[in-house]
Amino acid sequence: MVRPAVANLLPRPVRAALIAVLLVFTAAPLLYVLMASLNSDLAVVAGSFWPSDWQPANYVRIWSTVDLGPGLLNSVLVAGAVAVLCVLVSLGSAYVLVRYAFRGRTLILQALLALQSIPGTLLVLPVFVLFASLANALSVQIIGTRWALGATYLTFALPFSTWVMVTYLRGLPAELDEAAFIDGAGPWQVLTRIVLPLSWPGMVVSGIFAFLLGWNDVLFASVMTSPDTRTAAVALQVFGSAQEGGAIPVYGQLMAAALVCAVPVVVLYLVFQRYLVSGLTAGGVK
Amino acid sequence: MLVPGGALMVLVIVVPLGTAVEIALLDLDQYTFRQWLSAPFIGLGNFATALDSGLLHAIWLSVAYAAVVTIATVPIGVTAAVATHNHFAGRGLVRSLFLVPYVLPAFVVGTIWRIILQPQGIANQLLGTGGTLWLNGPRSFWALVIVQTWASWPLIYLLTLAGLQGIDPDLHEAAALDGAGHWAKLRRIILPLLRGPVALAAVIAFLHTVNAFTLPFVLFGVPSPRDVEVLPVLTYVESFQNFRFGVSAAMAVASLILVLLPLIAYLRAVRLDRES
Amino acid sequence: MNALRGWAVLLGAALLISMTACDSTDGDSASGAGKTLNVLVSANSIYPQQQKDWFTQVSSKFQQQTGAKVAFETFASPNDELTRIQTSVLAGQGPDVYSLGTTFTPTAYATKAFLELSADDWAKIGGRDKFLPATLGLSGPDAGHEVGVPFTSRPFVMAYNKEILAAAGIDKPADSWDGLLAEAKQLTKPGQYGLAVAYADGFDPWKFIWAMSVQAGNPLVAGGKAILTDPTTRMAYQTYLGWLATDKVVDPAAVGWKNAQAIAAFGAGKAAFLPMVSATSKVTLDKSTVAGKYAYALMPTIPPGATTVSANGKAASSILSGDNIVVAKYTKNKDLALELVKMLTSPEMQEIYYKTFGELPTNAQYAQTLQGDPALAAIVESSGKSVGTPFTGGWSQVQLALVNVVVQSIPNLSKGTVDDAALDKLLQTAQTTAQTALDKAK
Repeated sequence: MVRPAVANLLPRPVRAALIAVLLVFTAAPLLYVLMASLNSDLAVVAGSFWPSDWQPANYVRIWSTVDLGPGLLNSVLVAGAVAVLCVLVSLGSAYVLVRYAFRGRTLILQALLALQSIPGTLLVLPVFVLFASLANALSVQIIGTRWALGATYLTFALPFSTWVMVTYLRGLPAELDEAAFIDGAGPWQVLTRIVLPLSWPGMVVSGIFAFLLGWNDVLFASVMTSPDTRTAAVALQVFGSAQEGGAIPVYGQLMAAALVCAVPVVVLYLVFQRYLVSGLTAGGVK
Repeated sequence: MLVPGGALMVLVIVVPLGTAVEIALLDLDQYTFRQWLSAPFIGLGNFATALDSGLLHAIWLSVAYAAVVTIATVPIGVTAAVATHNHFAGRGLVRSLFLVPYVLPAFVVGTIWRIILQPQGIANQLLGTGGTLWLNGPRSFWALVIVQTWASWPLIYLLTLAGLQGIDPDLHEAAALDGAGHWAKLRRIILPLLRGPVALAAVIAFLHTVNAFTLPFVLFGVPSPRDVEVLPVLTYVESFQNFRFGVSAAMAVASLILVLLPLIAYLRAVRLDRES
Repeated sequence: MNALRGWAVLLGAALLISMTACDSTDGDSASGAGKTLNVLVSANSIYPQQQKDWFTQVSSKFQQQTGAKVAFETFASPNDELTRIQTSVLAGQGPDVYSLGTTFTPTAYATKAFLELSADDWAKIGGRDKFLPATLGLSGPDAGHEVGVPFTSRPFVMAYNKEILAAAGIDKPADSWDGLLAEAKQLTKPGQYGLAVAYADGFDPWKFIWAMSVQAGNPLVAGGKAILTDPTTRMAYQTYLGWLATDKVVDPAAVGWKNAQAIAAFGAGKAAFLPMVSATSKVTLDKSTVAGKYAYALMPTIPPGATTVSANGKAASSILSGDNIVVAKYTKNKDLALELVKMLTSPEMQEIYYKTFGELPTNAQYAQTLQGDPALAAIVESSGKSVGTPFTGGWSQVQLALVNVVVQSIPNLSKGTVDDAALDKLLQTAQTTAQTALDKAK
């Protein structure tokens, strides 16, 4: 449709230079992490960059020092569910908030943004007490289950995700919806057949954000999980812990485990970033 | 369609928030918190204690730090988005690599940068400033800014990239027909259209940075050096090390109010009802 | 696109279902054989596999003995443990038995959420006499109100590089801080420093200040009053900070060092003395270049500025450091919990624990047998000469205030000065903070 050269935002050499600079800026410390993961703990702590004592075995050790395997599985389950649900719920909410005018709409949008400003440390004790009391009242186990943790993450991720979808949906022309309505489609069909396919970029961002929230959080996971439902983020903490008085943290394994834990997210992004392509609305209005 | 999300948010955020506000009015510490419902009510006493414990200094530091980080990350994020918007060989990999600083857990980022910023560490070696103190003293604020910028610019980048995809390709055609060069097209068409996503990204980045706890905690430890005694670390120390839960809750509530004020001003300025 | 949307919903649902399905598990302990006791201990990242094996061993032994199983949970850091304890105490549910650091026991006591051991309870555990007397120092404010049962002992000592000392003709480390400083000066030359000290550590600094003050007769907290602006405390800070600033026996980079970096420096052979480490450093040092070339000795017990211990001072070689076991009041299995405590502090289990993790026992009978081991001599001696930190609910705030003085002095330190006026101001702030915390103590 659009000749690729026309859609270029920057001249090639400028683009290449910028990317190079950004890559160095981003990758330099990451290279340090990689080198540290192959080094001995004492050498890492002393600040050396190039491994003097190669320890690729760190990548093997991490699986037995903590239960990283089950931890990763739990993390994938929880963060994955949170991401998918968050994207769907926020899409629905955003659609309502953008396309339908009603009283209190502005207030809801403002409240959503305001909720973003609440620090987690303020909420962790009250949330725990709330769940524990509910568990007692209903005689059902809540603390230590994956779904309770997932529900908590979902709640924290929703305000931002909704706002992302709102911002994104605002940019979609309303004419598309109207055309569909004229053709006799109901609101649900408009949402699922027209709006959803066009919202991929927004959904990808929402999804990544929600996934990362569940993937990296330690504060809530450390109080709300049992040894079986422990997430990778909590397991990772053990690598960084020091025994007071002289056993140093296993830095090599910490860095190795950090990289291993980053892989699923990066792979997911690699898969979904192809949806971050322009031209989705092309031809739609015509 | 709003009900399930709304119900969850009320349950998991609003109710605990109410509890937290109530705690802020109680004299809750390690002696009374076992029976917390019967802890003595001291009204605004906690807020007074909080002011004596460095609350204002911490709020000022947090706001300044968040503002500087936001100002630094927005240009970097937008530039990266603009540079990786168009197709080139290896674009997927570059885009994914850009994401990694944001993906790494904050405490890993803190740990590695703490080693990099040691007085005899690699940062000083490369800059030739051997022995300079980054982890304490006046430079510590800038160390925190630099590390947080490094870790959080991908968020801006992600949002801007998504925004770029939403721009109608016909606009590119029209600009080409008009003979507009790259810079003119960027300045006149693309960047104005990105205002929405970038503004949102900036606000979110600001809020997240104000509340960022793990990075300053791991980078500088507790007690924090005076120059980086940011609010989340202060509330954490009050709560989990000094056991003054009431004071800590009061600090968090006070900061919440203070952050909300400019936020509400921003929301009014941005006309929310542009679409209807 | 429709198919994709369908898949997304299915995926979300599947994940939800799998999450709930995986959770329809236990908690149900009345399945015939008996109950399950939940125990919270610190995760051991240096002996992870051994720790898992130990958990299994304890559980099966306990099951043989009582029919009940033991389920262990671990926390990664003291902060983590604190959070867990707070949430459990607040909600009235959680682990039945906790393993706490000794310095944290006073705070735990202040919450009144842990079982105060009656004479009866002590009898069920095997009696107070089965423990080394020194280790009971932080079990409670007095013998009549104790919550903590001593479990392991981790006294602090000093590691020294035998080769470096021998080359300078020094026999062993001095027993006074002034003497140690003199030796350190002798051993400082380009590329080598006398002392490796971690000024930026969140824990180490206060232990030095405490030791020097106590040795000079100032317990830092007495009768509900904080004594931080005393000349003894001032001298302690000036000595400690002076090592780097004015005496120059510490690597200037130490202003950024946490404990790990100090150990690394000593391990690389760049320092002669490494004070304030415990036996757990053995694992790290044995992997370094000084393996086989170092030994442990007591830290000095004579305060700075003196040649003998002062009359009202204590020859404290270390803080009373180790783990206490406490039982939560909310537990529904109190007698079982006490049985477990009895088992864990028996000579056999203490021996197993020592051989697995290298931490000293608190059981007097087994500790006897370690007296003769020369490699452990210093550590065992230090265990006997440990003095407990003040038993007050406000201690963690006092501790924080002590460390804060060092943290805020670091910028000056890196410039090579100990600003006495600034130090006095900081001490005054610490005094006020500490006193406020103590005033609230009940």
